[in-house]
Amino acid sequence: MRNLKHLNWMIYLIAMVAIVLFLGSGKPIKIVGLFFVSGLAIGSLYALGGIGIVVLYRATGVLNFANGAAGAAGVMLAWQFADWGIWGPFTWLVAIFVALIISLVYGRLIAPLLAWREPVVKAVATLGFALIILGIVSFIWEDDPRKFALPSDKIGVYILGLRVTVTRLIAFAASICIVIGIYFYLYHTKVGLQMRSLANDRDLSALLGIPILKVETIAWGISGVIAGFTGLMFGDLIRLEPFVITFMVIPSIAAAVCGRLDNLILVLIGGLSMGVIESLLTLSQVFKGVRPIAPFVIAAVVLLWYQRGRRLTFSGTD
Amino acid sequence: MKMKTLPVALLALVVFAFTGQSHAATKCGANTGVAAKGKPIIVGGIHGNAPPGDFSASTDAAKAYFDCVNANGGIHGRPIDYRIENDQWNPELAAQAASKLVIDAGAVALVANGSFIEMAVNAGTYKKANIMSMAAACAISECFESSNIVSTNQGPLPSNLGATQYAQEELGSKNVGCIGLNIPNNGPWSCKASIDLMKARGGSGSMALLNPGAPDVNSALLEIISNGADTILMNLPAGLAIAVLKAAEEQDLRDQYVWIAPTPLYDLSVPKALGKYWDGKVFVNAELAPFQIGGPDAKNWKAVMDAYAKPEDPRDTFAQSGYLSATFFVKMMLAMNPKDIDNRAKVTQAIKNISGYRSDLMCGPYYVGDSDFHMPNHAGYMVQIINGGFKIVRECYEFDSAYFKPHIAIEKKLGLR
Repeated sequence: MRNLKHLNWMIYLIAMVAIVLFLGSGKPIKIVGLFFVSGLAIGSLYALGGIGIVVLYRATGVLNFANGAAGAAGVMLAWQFADWGIWGPFTWLVAIFVALIISLVYGRLIAPLLAWREPVVKAVATLGFALIILGIVSFIWEDDPRKFALPSDKIGVYILGLRVTVTRLIAFAASICIVIGIYFYLYHTKVGLQMRSLANDRDLSALLGIPILKVETIAWGISGVIAGFTGLMFGDLIRLEPFVITFMVIPSIAAAVCGRLDNLILVLIGGLSMGVIESLLTLSQVFKGVRPIAPFVIAAVVLLWYQRGRRLTFSGTD
Repeated sequence: MKMKTLPVALLALVVFAFTGQSHAATKCGANTGVAAKGKPIIVGGIHGNAPPGDFSASTDAAKAYFDCVNANGGIHGRPIDYRIENDQWNPELAAQAASKLVIDAGAVALVANGSFIEMAVNAGTYKKANIMSMAAACAISECFESSNIVSTNQGPLPSNLGATQYAQEELGSKNVGCIGLNIPNNGPWSCKASIDLMKARGGSGSMALLNPGAPDVNSALLEIISNGADTILMNLPAGLAIAVLKAAEEQDLRDQYVWIAPTPLYDLSVPKALGKYWDGKVFVNAELAPFQIGGPDAKNWKAVMDAYAKPEDPRDTFAQSGYLSATFFVKMMLAMNPKDIDNRAKVTQAIKNISGYRSDLMCGPYYVGDSDFHMPNHAGYMVQIINGGFKIVRECYEFDSAYFKPHIAIEKKLGLR
């Protein structure tokens, strides 16, 4: 088993090196470096979004498509407050608070009504919720050129020739810190244990007396805070358009799928790899047209790789 | 009760007096001051309004002008019944909208259409139904290369050319990198014209294409830079162009390149969104008269918008072009025999006969003609984003491109040159 794990990592590394060499062939190393670092920057955002999704999924079994919309609502309100001249740090807290409230409203009021439904139904319900939030946000803030900036945008360091702002470094560091933080929370706290128990078997956990509502509320709260922070990062580093931020959840889910909706480290690596490959595809005249679908192709390849040797049956897998 | 109604009546009188004054400043159609009555003349308008873009400004402005016309004698005493549909960027809805207006309602013409989708879907329908669309917010090739669509706005191709020409002549550009949308009838079509212009003038150019919802705009910027561009042409909607400029700001690329853009960046909220970093560094082509130009039509446009549009309706370039299409339509209809204004074939012919209409909002004459292509507006202004606003750096100038050869031939034939 351990050898198999090592084999997977070895194959991943070889594949990544081969992809980088193939797409970067004939191009100066400096140019390849620029695209590589640029890809890491966008990949860290995919990973950040994916981590928020997986944290909630592990605790509640809900694949939350509304994370992006909650983040979009938060960052739009933060922009509005900043536009009115309100103190920056307060506006950032507002963004996180708004996403937290949206997440908690869904988690406490709507999610319990669907608790015993199939995962697909739960996921589709969150998609509907996302569209409602997007509709409200689009109604309040009409389509207009806007920009959301953080003070950390002004400071940057050069990595492989590309100037990388501190905001991007924060997004990258945050995705790693959240992975570590959530790992310790899940494996070294009582609530973490209860979350794992719920994720494993909701019926059995209820019989054991685990306070399901309380544990799930905490999970929705953590997810909301991550969504708020992610929204701030997306609004700053991608662009301040609610539609775009809302649907960043799609490549984020592709990153989450790379971690089989379970392993946060794999989500992080998956997200970063997607960003790098997507960016490097720009260098290929033949393949640059397929850039938008790259995250999903990668997720599909990862899924196929994981389930190799298994036989699908009507009740699951053998 | 009387005590309550008296102040209300007084207030109403005051409001009426002031609004009356405001309406008096407008000049619409026959300008009789008498409301039109009788059988309405059905006119259609289709816009796209759904995330991620809103092109409704053109139909909003046309509606405001038609309302003003209806309050001022209408078309030979009859009101215009302006029916607006939203295609929501959905080809199926765009086709349904055209069918509803052209076939079911029997509109005599379409005015101030604005969409990325509608023209591509419905160009054939309009030709088959022998109806003209006097569009106002076009962004795709079908809008300019069809027999039954003519627009007052330029779309990306001429506006790109105007920006590229200015950069080559005034800013020393030798290699223009065009970042456009990965939509065949928009980005590649309009970027190619600018690249051809640069090649014709001894320079070079390249393009990088982005998907409208692409999160990673930096790759397109890096691609253009790695192609050796010294000038970046942001052939994108304002939101995406701002994202490109923000990515450039992150990398402190401002002073290493020339930054130019077509009309979408000519929006009053753009300078504030870009901030001080870009002050004086971005040059934008304006396809209609910049807002500080105060000719009679420009003033009337503002007065009509204030009097008849909603306060939240945009006062932007698409609102100008929507207003222009509506004014040209009304002028043409007023010149027609009143007996013929319900006859679509005769209205279509009258629109095709339009020639030499002028407005201070447009640099050149407006004409239609009977051809498979229409692009009457191919001259404009160049503005610089500076001090939180826009400064005109080049007054009306005609864009130089081989693309316009057939258009110029028609203009000569119509005696407009």
